[in-house]
Amino acid sequence: MRRQLMLAVVLVLGLVMPAFAQPAGTLVVGLVAEPVNLDPAQVTDLNSNRVGRRVVETLVTFPEEKTEVVPGLAESWTISKDGLQYTFKLRRGITFHDGTSFNASAVKFSIERQINPDHPANKLGKYPFANYFFGNVKAVEPLSDDRVAFLLKEPRASFLAVLTAGAASIVSPTAVMKAGLDYPSAPVGTGPFKFASWDRGQRVVLEKNPKYWKGPVKIERVVYRPIVEDQARLTELLTGQLDLIVGVPADYVTQLESNQKVGLLKQTGVHVWYLGINNQKKPFDDRRVRQALNYAVDKQAIVRDVLKGTGTPSVGPVQPNTWGAEPGLKAYPYDPARAKKLLAEAGYPNGLTTTLWVPESGSGMQAPVAMSTVIQSNLKAVGVNVNMQTMEWGAYLAKLRSKEQELFALSWMAGMEDPDMVMYPLLHSSQWTPNGPNRALYKNDKFDQLLTEARHTTDQAKRATLYKQAQKILIEDAPWIFIDHEVQIAAFAKRVQGFKLHPSFDLRVETISLK
Amino acid sequence: VSRFLVRRLLLLVPVLMGVSVIVFLVLHLAPGDPAEIMLGSQATQADRMRLRADLGLDDPLYVQYARWMGHVVQGDLGRSLWMRRPVLGEVLTRLKATLLLTATALVISSIGGVALGILSATRPNSLLDRTSAVASLFGASMPVFWLGIVLMVIFSLNLGWLPASGMYAPYGGGDLADLAKHLVLPAVTLAGASITIVARLTRAAMLEVLGQDFIRTARAKGLVERSVVVRHALKNALVPIVTVIGVQAGYLLGGAVLTETVFAWPGVGTLMVQGILARDIPLVQGCVLVVALTFVLVNLTVDLLYAVLDPRIRYE
Repeated sequence: MRRQLMLAVVLVLGLVMPAFAQPAGTLVVGLVAEPVNLDPAQVTDLNSNRVGRRVVETLVTFPEEKTEVVPGLAESWTISKDGLQYTFKLRRGITFHDGTSFNASAVKFSIERQINPDHPANKLGKYPFANYFFGNVKAVEPLSDDRVAFLLKEPRASFLAVLTAGAASIVSPTAVMKAGLDYPSAPVGTGPFKFASWDRGQRVVLEKNPKYWKGPVKIERVVYRPIVEDQARLTELLTGQLDLIVGVPADYVTQLESNQKVGLLKQTGVHVWYLGINNQKKPFDDRRVRQALNYAVDKQAIVRDVLKGTGTPSVGPVQPNTWGAEPGLKAYPYDPARAKKLLAEAGYPNGLTTTLWVPESGSGMQAPVAMSTVIQSNLKAVGVNVNMQTMEWGAYLAKLRSKEQELFALSWMAGMEDPDMVMYPLLHSSQWTPNGPNRALYKNDKFDQLLTEARHTTDQAKRATLYKQAQKILIEDAPWIFIDHEVQIAAFAKRVQGFKLHPSFDLRVETISLK
Repeated sequence: VSRFLVRRLLLLVPVLMGVSVIVFLVLHLAPGDPAEIMLGSQATQADRMRLRADLGLDDPLYVQYARWMGHVVQGDLGRSLWMRRPVLGEVLTRLKATLLLTATALVISSIGGVALGILSATRPNSLLDRTSAVASLFGASMPVFWLGIVLMVIFSLNLGWLPASGMYAPYGGGDLADLAKHLVLPAVTLAGASITIVARLTRAAMLEVLGQDFIRTARAKGLVERSVVVRHALKNALVPIVTVIGVQAGYLLGGAVLTETVFAWPGVGTLMVQGILARDIPLVQGCVLVVALTFVLVNLTVDLLYAVLDPRIRYE
């Protein structure tokens, strides 16, 4: 009896004793969902990428906080005059975490496994980006151990930006072939962290790569924990069980801003949230109607009251910090009177009735239903009666291929800041749905021509000029109602030093040191 | 008994078949294309068509079902579309966590509920009885996630006594004390609603038994009250109590989905939610099948318990 009592006391004490702080050198990150697959070439979700991209690296990359392309695993490159051949000189002496060497054939393997159906590793995964990113790649040819050439079918000036994508990461061919279908659970690359373990539903642990080519990594390991419930994630941060969380819900931002225990970082990501308009369907084929819709919506109110500062109003599709963004663009002001006048001019003095499709949730969709509800009431105020239909994300994407949409809410995360990566897929007429992502069915010959020309020009300054002209056309044409760019918010414990957010939504914990 | 057992176990087959057909149909008839979700918004129509063909989604439903069933009977639940990992292994790993959580919650609600019920029954209309009646109404109508968050805010955020999520400390830890600490909040949350149901039913059953003649006889022959209540009354009230506890076991298994999500408990529930959101059909099918099997086995155990508790019940 006495022993049982003792045991009970010990247990109770164990339960109420304050939790110990994390071991030194271990960074604990709270994710909003569990990664599903750690091979960045196989997944489209942010959480998988945020973890997977610590293990593997790309030939070219973006520097901290900035977006011009800089050397990564390749130390330099040349582009042929016709823009069809990109030749990379690889860094020497780098090894994968499994000890095999990084070389030109590994580059060939990493890309060709995705695009060549006869490749031995092609059937080992589903590669969602194969066509979108590498559909234009004819072959990847090693010229020597440390030189490799990408041969393209058509010139594409944003190809370097494409090679910064997670899907363009270089993997260890030995590891892929050895692990087969199980490779995504234990990835092997050259990155700052090595994969260590994955307890399903609980944590993914990465250990530092002691031989990292860029220099020593300052933390010993990173532990990623999936915590879906916002309140739980926040509680764990505030009680010191987590060091860093991203995707802080809008409702908690003010509460965290005044909290002494945590720091907060904000940054506008390469993202755009728009209300698409079917440009081919009456009455939206009339530019005045589309402009009227833009005047009718109060974006400032959406950003302020619905997104609570987790978004910044957008003027066009291109994020303002991007090198090709036109600085002189003027946003459509909130002007219901002007909207009514334009509608009357277009022949709708008594307004009109239309349908708005909205997904319940979805990657990058912020608060789709709440945002759309505000838009709906804004439009009603100028006489546009909107029937809102909400749908499940997968069903919604499938339905948008029907071309029957009138108005629809959608967003885009390019993942890299190149105007081509936003404007071309979303607005070039060759990209009309169902084949491409131009779901607004927008077509303007002059705009198409500018974008195509920019794609074929390797001179960056000239490209910028062309993109700026294209953006002016867009503002005039108003193919969408421009709404916002997402502002990503991270909260972190005070012991976290040197953390920076990247506009690509990547989570580069390798820059962190712990106090 | 062995013949009864064999018959019941054989009945498992049609039950599980039925469950699998329903789950299969619901998943395929619900809107949402797994290929669209896997590929994201930049996919071309060609990408989508290729992936659909690859996943066999274009075949008639009965062909898809037969193909899946053909693997299932060989013990192969297939691979998850997203994770690319064998479903059976994933589900079994997670099932352990779910069973631990459910069993703990069941123990809490049985012991707590029976104790509360007895106390109420022996002091009808006392303050305790009335408080417990109000608490029951509250408990039964309170959503699990709400209770979970309230407990989390009080015990983790404000008092700092207990961790808010997960099964073990993020790094290090891993021993029994660590596990117990993490188990308290989710288990109490999950037990919250069923403890009140068990208490109300125990009270009713006890009141009925306590009013019977043999209780008066027991008291008349001078037995101490404790012995009357526990030995004589409770034993006779046990069959309905065990029935409701059995029902609660199933309820807790289902309720675990929400509790697990709130507390990031790595069980089948969180896995299933993840699978449903991603329209990961093989994964969801595997989860449901394993949970259904567990549920049926729990029911069978309860049925067998009746015979142990009440010698008048015999299975042929």
